Amino acid sequence: MEVHPQRKRRRNPDAGIGYLFIAPSIIGFSVFVVYPLVTSIYYALTSWNGVSAPTFIGLKNFAFMFHSDPSFWPSLKATGLFVLMSVPTSLILGLALAMLLNRKIRGIRMFRTIFYLPVVLPAVATLTLWKFIFDPRFGFANELLSALHLPTSLWLGSYSMALPSIVIIGLWGVGGTMIIFLAGLQAVPQELYEAARLDGGGNWTILLRVTLPLISPILFLQLVMHIIGSMQAFVQPAVLTAGGPGFSTDLFMYNIWQNAFQNQAFGFAEAQVWVLFIAIILVTVFTFRLSSMWVYTEEGTE
Amino acid sequence: MVKAEEAVSQVVSTHLPRRRRWTPQQIFIFGLIVFFAAIMLLPFFWMLTTALKTNNGIYQLPPQYIPTTFDFANFGAGIRAVHFVRLFINTAIIAAVATIGSVVSSMFVGYGLARIRFPGRKIWFYAFVGSMMLPGIVGLLPMFRLYLSIGWYNTWFPLMIPAWFGNPFFIFLARQFYFSIPRSLDEAAKLDGAGHFTILTRIMVPLTRPIWITMAIFAFQGSWNDYLGPLVYLYSQSKWTLALGMASFSGVYNTPWNEYMATDLIYMLPPLIIFFVAQRYFMEGLGSLGGASVR
Repeated sequence: MEVHPQRKRRRNPDAGIGYLFIAPSIIGFSVFVVYPLVTSIYYALTSWNGVSAPTFIGLKNFAFMFHSDPSFWPSLKATGLFVLMSVPTSLILGLALAMLLNRKIRGIRMFRTIFYLPVVLPAVATLTLWKFIFDPRFGFANELLSALHLPTSLWLGSYSMALPSIVIIGLWGVGGTMIIFLAGLQAVPQELYEAARLDGGGNWTILLRVTLPLISPILFLQLVMHIIGSMQAFVQPAVLTAGGPGFSTDLFMYNIWQNAFQNQAFGFAEAQVWVLFIAIILVTVFTFRLSSMWVYTEEGTE
Repeated sequence: MVKAEEAVSQVVSTHLPRRRRWTPQQIFIFGLIVFFAAIMLLPFFWMLTTALKTNNGIYQLPPQYIPTTFDFANFGAGIRAVHFVRLFINTAIIAAVATIGSVVSSMFVGYGLARIRFPGRKIWFYAFVGSMMLPGIVGLLPMFRLYLSIGWYNTWFPLMIPAWFGNPFFIFLARQFYFSIPRSLDEAAKLDGAGHFTILTRIMVPLTRPIWITMAIFAFQGSWNDYLGPLVYLYSQSKWTLALGMASFSGVYNTPWNEYMATDLIYMLPPLIIFFVAQRYFMEGLGSLGGASVR
């Protein structure tokens, strides 16, 4: 197709067809993103049982949440602890496994597949499998520990161990993180490693001065995704613990779901959704702010 | 894609030249890999042996790691206990419709954004991709109300229809991948009188196979594994998906774990089979994803 200088003034013949091609997403964006986003602000300010019409009550939902709801602060604490435990462990383990598997050994593809397998499986299937592994009397976990003469645990039934148990289950799916780090590691130019070695760099120096800075953009992306993802964890308490024992695994998403679909407090739940949403935005912005300190960019100076 | 693969194989081959004899360090690393892989496989092993144990076998202490008698009756009993066949068919229908919908619509939208020039396409792209950042829960309750008011509660529509309106992540993937295909191909086809629809279906679809297979795997997994959606929208047990059925089976008092694991194995099979069949394309597609985020 030839391009004339006057082309801009003429009506673009492709405009109509272009909008036809992206029409599904424009409709989807309006119906599934804009509409619920806008209306949810209103619902957060209402008393609403999910069936009858919502009535406007102003900020009362938020007042109740911060002052009277006995589950709000414990739930927030459980969610915070979950993020603090699950994000660093899965990032570190994922990166370590990626570096371990980033080499040419016979059968390495098979090993990569083995590590990735749990990621493919349905969450409900893996969680329930682990539920039996963590069974205090007949489960594999305690069996293994007592065979090694180590103290056993009530796992999901224990106030202090329930949340760490969920984190351990999550680590079984570390292959997803590993694969993305692996792709990042393989994109690091090999000359850099050779140059570093010629300059007498040891393994640790190369890791800290070459590998980590070069994959820091991926590390950062993974960090943000993991934080956002774990702040919204839902299936684990829903399938395994129902938030217990106490409020130890009462993750915020599960708390919201309970308030909406079990307590019929839809307005209140929507207010909670907005608290979660704003918390996610704040944490993400904070992470982005900190990122300039350690994420390597081409133009950046040390 | 070929280029990326070459680059990867070059990287790998210069990294550790193959030697006849292994150094102690290599043996140590290989041992480490095998050790971690064994840990990863242990839960599968536990599952498999549990599925084959008798009712008394699962409560035997110390447990038998390899059952003396294999009880295949667990499969039949488990399947009857959760109405497995019904739920399996339900889940398969929902997953198939949702997968086809999201792949087809995202291929279209991605093409429109990458290959057709029209005013506002950048803004729409950022709007779509930006909506990925929005937590799904924000829209859940208003959408629930909407579906309830149009009679879609307790139907499969809320789980299948939204997929037909483009998945932002897939659109991002598709657009990225279309950019890697030389424009001269489009130009040549246009000279031959082909419209955008023909270019998309005849040229782009065959050339972008890794990416739409990756999308299809993601979409199928997402639908097959979804728990929150069915939990919110499906009330009648006859309309349930396997995720709901299996979760409730595991939640009953004194779950028969041998029967449970047997059915859980079958529940896992479709995503596993699809993963193994399409693995090559999948890794290729994911590789391009990794490459995109490096730059």
